[in-house]
Amino acid sequence: MSAPATTEQNRTAPASSASHVTNAWSIVTLREVIVKIRDRGFIISTLVTLLLIAGGMGASAFIENQSQSFTVAVVSPQAGQIVQGTGSDQSGEGGLTVDTMETETAEAARSAVDAEQADVALLNSEDGWTLVGKDSVDDGLSTAVGQSLSDYVLQMNAQAAGTTAEDLTAGSELDEEVLQGSMDDEALHGIVSFVFSFLFYMSAIIFGMAIAQSVLEEKQNRVVEILATAIPIRQLLYGKVIGNTILAMAQLALYGGAALVMVNLLGDTTMVGSIIAASGWFFVYFLIGFLILAAGFAVVGSLASRQEDLQSSTTPVMAVIFAALFAGIFAEGTWLTVASYVPVVSSVAMPVRLLEGNVALWEPLLSIVVALLAAVVLIRLGEKIYQRAVLQSGGALSLRKAMRIEE
Amino acid sequence: MLRIENLRRTFGDVTAVDDVSFTVEPGRMTGFVGANGAGKTTTMRMIMGVLAIHSGQVEWNGRPITAADRTRFGYMPEERGLYPKQQVLDQLVYLGQLRGMSQGDARREGVRLLGRFELEGRQKDKLESLSLGNQQRVQIVAALLHRPTALILDEPFSGLDPVAVDSMADLLRERISEGTPVLFSSHQLDLMERLCDNLVVLSHGRLVAAGDVAELRHQQQQRHRVVTEPDAGWLRELGGVTVLDVEGPKAVVEIVDAATRRTVVEEALKRGGLDEFTPLVPSLSEIYREVTQ
Repeated sequence: MSAPATTEQNRTAPASSASHVTNAWSIVTLREVIVKIRDRGFIISTLVTLLLIAGGMGASAFIENQSQSFTVAVVSPQAGQIVQGTGSDQSGEGGLTVDTMETETAEAARSAVDAEQADVALLNSEDGWTLVGKDSVDDGLSTAVGQSLSDYVLQMNAQAAGTTAEDLTAGSELDEEVLQGSMDDEALHGIVSFVFSFLFYMSAIIFGMAIAQSVLEEKQNRVVEILATAIPIRQLLYGKVIGNTILAMAQLALYGGAALVMVNLLGDTTMVGSIIAASGWFFVYFLIGFLILAAGFAVVGSLASRQEDLQSSTTPVMAVIFAALFAGIFAEGTWLTVASYVPVVSSVAMPVRLLEGNVALWEPLLSIVVALLAAVVLIRLGEKIYQRAVLQSGGALSLRKAMRIEE
Repeated sequence: MLRIENLRRTFGDVTAVDDVSFTVEPGRMTGFVGANGAGKTTTMRMIMGVLAIHSGQVEWNGRPITAADRTRFGYMPEERGLYPKQQVLDQLVYLGQLRGMSQGDARREGVRLLGRFELEGRQKDKLESLSLGNQQRVQIVAALLHRPTALILDEPFSGLDPVAVDSMADLLRERISEGTPVLFSSHQLDLMERLCDNLVVLSHGRLVAAGDVAELRHQQQQRHRVVTEPDAGWLRELGGVTVLDVEGPKAVVEIVDAATRRTVVEEALKRGGLDEFTPLVPSLSEIYREVTQ
């Protein structure tokens, strides 16, 4: 213990004062993120989901925009005129293209339909008009022809009465107006609510399980005993929760971004604004709801002793996630209002309410405060159980057993 | 200097460690022996703060040990474990960072130490793809990486082949010569014999011997071999002498003090001659058996 010992002490003395890593959680967070984004399974599933979003939206737009074309067999020139009229009020988008096929007789028209040369025949008799199809008549075509026919007949009758169709129908127009949003939004709300609920459900399970597994991995392989001597075990929990929350939010933003790009590309820009507004709220709620679930999953992971235990020990947390999913999709009225204040469930329920409008600003703010309080309490509680349970080897623990363990 | 003072720990009704005190001095290799269940692992876990201390305390450099002190320690737990699915060097860097190293430092030191164990080609391999012996070497690197201020190693040699035992011993000696206190447990008493300067022996949770190996040996040195013609049987009648074995002129005896020793020599010379009178240096295993009886 002469010269080398002194230099050793000189060298380590400043290091040991500087060495207590205060932001240890950030190192843990970084590892969680890096390990995950290097995981091939995770990369593939993310890409597949992205493709499904882009492909699904593209395909549904394609199907919607595809115009259908029909050939209508006609005998009389009036019928020809009516058929021509079907195209006039269609914008082309999702519309019908209708061609006429002139035949000599009603019989000839019917046989053209039977031979599938024409899709339908429009025939008139003493008491009115008949649309003849082979085994069915397309609904869209029938509506269009019906509309065109009533316009035509109205015009004819008006002429016969010495007036015009415009005069006859003047003042009969019924405009629709809704106080909140617009009619189109109603359908959109349904879709977006479903998307919110489902995204929350999916991310909570994917990244929640990742936390549980990561906790269990360290417990099972006893790395946790080394980690516990290096950093406060609380920091380890924080690092994991924050890491997976970042991943979940990033993935959510990626999916959301992809969906918005697709909406833009498809030209449906009117939707974008309202989705972004609702998504902003959703993002905040998602964050808080996920933090609560993350604490739950960390506890579940620390109680388990093998992979197989996770199946059963995750059940209570899964139940909460299901509740959120169903509340988002099915809850209405009072139920939805109540759900929008229950932490975790509110992550989906409140954004859904906000989409529907008619919510005062204090409501989401109060609901966020409630969720935040719950998050703080549950993370603290989770911390306590985690700290006790994660250093235990042996069989799976129950919550009650874990609480009785002394450190 | 690591000082363990009156440590006590119970698990339910069982007292695993009972009033154990010893020191781990800088620059000295302290071996920790005891049968299975004697309390070695429990003591080490309490030193490292993984297990709560029921009474007593651990002092580091003259004051109660803190979490920050422990961060700078190197620890190898009884139950081994690292991340099976992560690359070897990556996880070493991670563990180094958690103990306050910069990423670059941790990487450099990791590479260097892996080299010492002939694992330089395996840096990018997943841990689980290594043999158990090699995983054990990585575990050692993990404990030594951050230039620890003290080393607490639970069975560091178990599962190592003779070459790795030598590399490990060399590494430990280097750290010792730099003034790092080292406490390590082992069941391999021959290894202890080779490596230890100090010895701490536990039995059923209690300390039965602690101190300098040479002194412990000396304490046992009242044992002598005597060869005296024509027959050594008279030694039985001599006060202060315990005859352990006698066969014709040869005997193994325990002699309580220096005065008695002189009496034995004088008496032997009187009776016809003294051919041999040798103090017997006990092996560690003899000391161990003696103190744990």
